[in-house]
Amino acid sequence: MTATTIPRETTKAAPPHLSDRSVAENRLGQKLVAPALILMVLVTAYPMLQALYLSLFRYRLTTPDDKGFVGLGNYVTILSDSLFWKDTFNTVLIMVVTVAVELVIGFAFAMVMHRIIFARGVMRTAILIPYGIITVVSAFAWQFTFSINNGWVNSWFSWLPGISASTNWYGDHWHAMFAIMVSEIWKTTPFMALLLLAGLSQVSEDMLEAAKVDGATASQRLFKVILPNMRAAIMVAVLFRALDAFRIFDNIFIMTKGAQNTESSSFLTYRQAIEQFQLGMGSALSVLLFLTVLLLAWLIVKFFRVDLAQARGEG
Amino acid sequence: MRKTGVGTYAGFIVILVWCLLPIAWIVSLSFKSLAETTTGSAHFLPQDATWDNYKVLLGMTSDKSTSHDFLAALRNSFGISIIATILAVLIATLAAYAIARLEFKGKRLVLSLALAIAMFPVVSLVGPLFDMWRTFHLFNTWPGLIIPYMTFTLPLAIWTLSAFFREIPWEMEQAAQVDGATSWQAFRKVIVPLAAPGVFTAAILTFFFAWNEFVLAISLTSTTSTRTVPAQMSYFVGPDPFNPPYSQLATASVIVTIPVIVIVLLFQRRIVAGLTSGAVKG
Amino acid sequence: MHVPRRSRGASRPPGRSHNRRRWAGSLAALATAAGLLTACGSNGGKTTLVWYINPDSGGQAAIAQTCSTDQYTITTQVLPQDANQQRVQLARRLEAHDSGIDLMSIDPPYTAELANGGLLAPIPAAEQATLKQQSFKGATDAATWNGQLVVYPFWSNTQVLWYRKSFVQKAGLDMTQPVTWDQIIKAASDNGGTVAVQANKYEGYVVWINALVSGAGGTLVKDASKGVDAQVTINDQAGDDAAKVIQELAHSKAAPPDLSVSQEGQAGSAFGAANGAFMVNWTYIWHNYDSTQPDVAKDIGYAKYPETVQGQDSRPPYGGIGIGVSSYSKHIDLANQAAACLVQPKQQATQAALTGNMPASPAGYQDPQIQKLFPPDLIKLFEDSVNSAAPRTVTPYWSDISGAIQSTWHPPASVSPSSTPQKSATFIHDVLTGKKLL
Repeated sequence: MTATTIPRETTKAAPPHLSDRSVAENRLGQKLVAPALILMVLVTAYPMLQALYLSLFRYRLTTPDDKGFVGLGNYVTILSDSLFWKDTFNTVLIMVVTVAVELVIGFAFAMVMHRIIFARGVMRTAILIPYGIITVVSAFAWQFTFSINNGWVNSWFSWLPGISASTNWYGDHWHAMFAIMVSEIWKTTPFMALLLLAGLSQVSEDMLEAAKVDGATASQRLFKVILPNMRAAIMVAVLFRALDAFRIFDNIFIMTKGAQNTESSSFLTYRQAIEQFQLGMGSALSVLLFLTVLLLAWLIVKFFRVDLAQARGEG
Repeated sequence: MRKTGVGTYAGFIVILVWCLLPIAWIVSLSFKSLAETTTGSAHFLPQDATWDNYKVLLGMTSDKSTSHDFLAALRNSFGISIIATILAVLIATLAAYAIARLEFKGKRLVLSLALAIAMFPVVSLVGPLFDMWRTFHLFNTWPGLIIPYMTFTLPLAIWTLSAFFREIPWEMEQAAQVDGATSWQAFRKVIVPLAAPGVFTAAILTFFFAWNEFVLAISLTSTTSTRTVPAQMSYFVGPDPFNPPYSQLATASVIVTIPVIVIVLLFQRRIVAGLTSGAVKG
Repeated sequence: MHVPRRSRGASRPPGRSHNRRRWAGSLAALATAAGLLTACGSNGGKTTLVWYINPDSGGQAAIAQTCSTDQYTITTQVLPQDANQQRVQLARRLEAHDSGIDLMSIDPPYTAELANGGLLAPIPAAEQATLKQQSFKGATDAATWNGQLVVYPFWSNTQVLWYRKSFVQKAGLDMTQPVTWDQIIKAASDNGGTVAVQANKYEGYVVWINALVSGAGGTLVKDASKGVDAQVTINDQAGDDAAKVIQELAHSKAAPPDLSVSQEGQAGSAFGAANGAFMVNWTYIWHNYDSTQPDVAKDIGYAKYPETVQGQDSRPPYGGIGIGVSSYSKHIDLANQAAACLVQPKQQATQAALTGNMPASPAGYQDPQIQKLFPPDLIKLFEDSVNSAAPRTVTPYWSDISGAIQSTWHPPASVSPSSTPQKSATFIHDVLTGKKLL
């Protein structure tokens, strides 16, 4: 299942030298991907190197005469600072909770969409609207939804314990985190459902029919036939969504601006670099954030045995 | 034969409500008067619906300051997104053609790099890019945003396009040449029409990304000459400096969502195909 | 015969086959359009000076028109409401050498940071002398960095103690004598009233804390010119006295329910409510209720800012605006001329009459426009308060210090004299020296 097409060049052992055609193809291929390659490397690698350099200094943009070399001092400060760890915890929590919820709800949606044979266009349009809408717009919509004076959550759900007409959703940490997570889940569950639907469509109907004939119940069919065959699709979806959720910024900026300790790692980095003008500390945070995402990606790929070839979009 | 049971119908309704309720909400908010949202009203629907907010935002009233900023932001968003899309799709088309059709050293490198870029935390760039752009005089300029946008939309564009390109029957190009066409004519008349839908889909997806981008938009711009819509919306200052104008924000939200809904309505099949082929083979 | 297979979407119109060439053409067109759009704004002939102002109800825009001459027109652009956001906007653009800013309305605590970074153009010496002569001492102090005047003092804002005359009568408190915080808190809680302040996690909260600490004879930070090595003194006895006041209010019945998120607007609403009793707020309050709650407007009394410690004169907060000229402006000389006009006492008075934000000069106060709008004893109170005001520490690191104080002293209910001042002092020091993240 994790087999990939082995690129021809690794079996070069047979011909002692490449044919003219292969050489020409090789050169053409490299020339065609060159612009993309150059652009991607230049716009990310060069600034990251710059960030690495800046992170070795105590450098506040508006007090340039206090600039000084501190080596790894900024990193020590960050890694021993409780604010950094609090924000990292917030971010990881948001990531885990939203991806888990999205998986479950998204799968339910995918099942429904799989069985619908009418109004497919309407369904597809509806599903794509949360995807296409600007995140800032969706954040505002949910901010107003949970607003104490103008929102409908308090009035519609006041029959639930813990919610009343005067619940201030932005007044404390957990309420605010809940609001942020709801906003994030709303926006990305449909996309997750789409990815899962694509995987679901690949599960062969014959296998399901055979299972039904063999007497498997619906839940057995689900857990023993459908899910295992969708594994690859699910894991790729988890990889992308988890990394997206870890980089959460827009929702937090608009809904709480980080108040009530709801900052995420991205928000902390932004605030240090752009609002505090701490280019040294901000760059160190940038580098750490980049490394964290890399680590996270590696962990997810290893732990969930994600099919990287599929993730890379190889044929 | 699959029977559509009650559960499926119920699920259908749930999905529709899930997706459309917040849209209905901001539409409703956009029709509430500024006074109503300032004093606070716990009703879903407006108490006395009014077109005032739309008039103010579109510059049809005497106070043009809000509409001036908003329309400038729309202009910036359209311009920057379209240019970034065109350039990104151009570059991605070349790369995707090579990836789908040719064998060459470094194919896996490019794809891995694309994957890495797709996972890259864009916020890590705000510090160094701000510093770099102010040296190169690209701070608060259109190219200052277009360049990063092009880069970050490349992975999705490359994946979508290479998936589409793999589906194209390339041997038709040779068949056309056998039938007497030159290789340029074969390319133009046979390949391009087949590739066009994929290119178009990739363009839509990259446009959505650029249209939506927020972090770089707020960090690398500072005036209405460059600020895009998401950034401008977070700077909305209404007539009362102590109270943000909720209903006007909702109106702006509705106005910028309309093009999205139109595009989605017209091209939903294409978009779904592009998204799912990009992430899941098949 | 080989029949071409119709692939999906193959029904594209033939025009599509000129894809690449058309795209190159439209790209060029778009680039040109983009260039034209971003270049718009030049006036052809008369110079335009752009003045970035903080949001107000039209006062600055009005005098911008008055001070425009045949040589130049002054136009205004509005900054965000939040003081720190104003600073972020301005500093970011100035650091990027943006030439689109000529004049700026600067909040006093951030003056030192901008001046220290070389972002403000120097004021001609002759003009400095005039300004020193015409302005309140508090205003000139707040506008000075490294011995030079770096901004043109424009407004000098201060806070007074506003009270509801009906309530004070009921409570039997003598407002002709100086009162302490303890007295008004007790009077309010014993008689069912509220004491409204600004205690949200923002700059306004630090304004209150600074006033309390200064009123007890202390300062937040000493030797600010030493930069990161400044001595943090918030944990002296004065800091403890300040913390005691905040603790008392936060735990008393007189605390408004939205105390921990209250800013100027919320405080105003709490004061105008049926159980409003006392409030500390800026000068604009006098006319704030005229149109919306005229009965409250008639019921407003005023006194000097409450004392932190019995018998020690209170030090009211200092706020306001100074007009700065950007050192990256293309028209520095014209901008200096414009600024000099804008801060003339007559313009200060016009601006004050429109917005309630008082002038930075005694002459401005004497102007008939002001005399008409405020009762003479209120005017005297404003002037006295400005003269005895305690500005927030003048240092380029103010945003860090303020942020650190907000972090450790918020929410008000968590403040305790035995721990908060010390905790905040350590935190401020750590933030300044880069040992802790803010």
